[in-house]
Amino acid sequence: MPGFVIDAQGIQKSFGTLKAVDGVSLQVNPGECFGILGPNGAGKTTTIKMLHGAVQPDAGTLRVLGRDVATQSRLIRAQMGIVSQEDTLDRDLTVYENLWVYAGFFSISRKSSLSRIEYLLDFMQLREKWDSQIKTLSGGMKRRLHIARALIHEPKFLILDEPTTGLDPQARHLVWHRLRELKAQGLTILLTTHYMEEAAQMCDRIGIMDGGKFLLEGPPQTLVQEKVGDEVYELRGGASEELLDSLQGLPVTAEVVADILYLYSHNGMGVMEHLISWGRKDFLRRPATLEDLFLRLTGRELRD
Amino acid sequence: MMLFPQAPSHRAFRVWVRHLVYYRSFYLAEWAGNLGEHILWLVAFGYGLGRLVPSLDGISYAQFIGPGLMVSVAMWNATYESTYGAYSRMRIQNIYESMLMAPLTVGDIVLGDLLWCASRALIGSSLMLVVLSLFGLVGSWWAVAILPILFIEAVMFAALGLIATSLAHSFSFFNFYFSAIVMPMFFFAGTLFPIKGLPLWVERFSDALPLTHAVRISRGLFIYGHVENFIWHFSFLLGFTFLFLAVACVLVSRRMVE
Ligand SMILES: Nc1ncnc2c1ncn2[C@@H]1O[C@H](COP(=O)(O)OP(=O)(O)O)[C@@H](O)[C@H]1O
Ligand SMILES: [Mg+2]
Repeated sequence: MPGFVIDAQGIQKSFGTLKAVDGVSLQVNPGECFGILGPNGAGKTTTIKMLHGAVQPDAGTLRVLGRDVATQSRLIRAQMGIVSQEDTLDRDLTVYENLWVYAGFFSISRKSSLSRIEYLLDFMQLREKWDSQIKTLSGGMKRRLHIARALIHEPKFLILDEPTTGLDPQARHLVWHRLRELKAQGLTILLTTHYMEEAAQMCDRIGIMDGGKFLLEGPPQTLVQEKVGDEVYELRGGASEELLDSLQGLPVTAEVVADILYLYSHNGMGVMEHLISWGRKDFLRRPATLEDLFLRLTGRELRD
Repeated sequence: MMLFPQAPSHRAFRVWVRHLVYYRSFYLAEWAGNLGEHILWLVAFGYGLGRLVPSLDGISYAQFIGPGLMVSVAMWNATYESTYGAYSRMRIQNIYESMLMAPLTVGDIVLGDLLWCASRALIGSSLMLVVLSLFGLVGSWWAVAILPILFIEAVMFAALGLIATSLAHSFSFFNFYFSAIVMPMFFFAGTLFPIKGLPLWVERFSDALPLTHAVRISRGLFIYGHVENFIWHFSFLLGFTFLFLAVACVLVSRRMVE
């Protein structure tokens, strides 16, 4: 039996009275890409830190790559690459030295680390920066170097905590492209993200997290289909009480946010005719997305 | 491994290498600074103040403080590196955190850091030895035998400094650490003046200080080529070193793993 890469059962973590992670269970299969979505403060980073032993769970059992994290986290980390949310590059060293020193932490021989570093600098398009100081790199370059560093030992499993937050679209697409390549090579990936597009494109399964719990978990398209529908109608300028009442008999769910009426529908045909018959042609009709699902589940109020 | 998942191992060497790679970018400036400072100390105290001091047990004051200065340099260097330096690595630059995402334990990181602090301190003390020999103050080849003792002493002070670092919440904590711990240690360990003949409680206090034992061993080797009660002083030094190392591992673990 190949076994799960991550097997978490009811893990919990409190900081004082705050329950940062409140009973998370999660199983990730080899070769799979799993995405954790959630607003700020949902508990994503705390969950990830428990996977590599930087935070100790208060309760629950947690196995990664078939080993118990509480007692064998060092051996787990030998086979796992980690890209943390915060920048942890070594600012005292150059790009090349960062990779070379980090390879040493994995006891990689000098000779094999040299060819690996060259490969990774090319892969992440950082070759001409090899001798630069970290402070001279752009945000996107730092993130790419971070990912290169996490891949130095050819891990079986890669964890990325918000790998693309704060990057410009070009840098973001480069990272996505590289991650898809890695996935195609069979790497198991766990990532957290705020970008629904990223999750929808990259992940075989996602979990939507809020308040330290998974609200929902499954393949992104299936979840959107089941929980939101196929289509969304957006009516700017809102709608009259009469129009809202008239929707009662139709297979739609209505939601009013500020001056917009959202109608989520499973088979849109009747809806469109209905709106037109009420004299409303100013609607936007579009496919339902993960963002609709996310906002419906976690609400629309700001989180920080 | 199962009992002490954060215990140190040979991988501490890799941490030491990281510090060495960084050191390559500024060591010449540091050596020049060290040499200048050492000469200043020796001239100011050994010869300036020394003119007022009668010979002690048949040796000049400059000869007397020579080994004391070597021991103090080891202490000061190890202390600076394990407080200001390590605090920056642990709390500001997230270097410890990045090491803990690789297959290293807190013990590896702590031991690697201590060995590094001690290496740097040993370089400082060796430069002091060079200065002393240039001034013709080194009487015997036994002086070189001090260096391994100074290395142990530096590991001990680095561990003590790292304990302070793991308790600190900002750099200002080190002001307290330096005035409450390091300064008294420096003055009452017999580095600059002999403790013998001072009130009994001062002698007792001095005996309890780890630095005193490094001073006794060093002065003995440096001047006479032998040390009275070597085993006693050496055990004291080694005992404190292991004690501080263990405490530092536990406290840094608490700080790094939530
Ligand atoms: N070390 C800590 N001490 C106290 N509270 C913390 C700590 N780490 C995280 N938290 C809190 O736990 C909650 C979850 O944080 P986090 O896991 O970082 O969320 P996310 O990564 O989803 O934004 C937040 O409310 C955060 O403030
Ligand atoms: Mg986070």
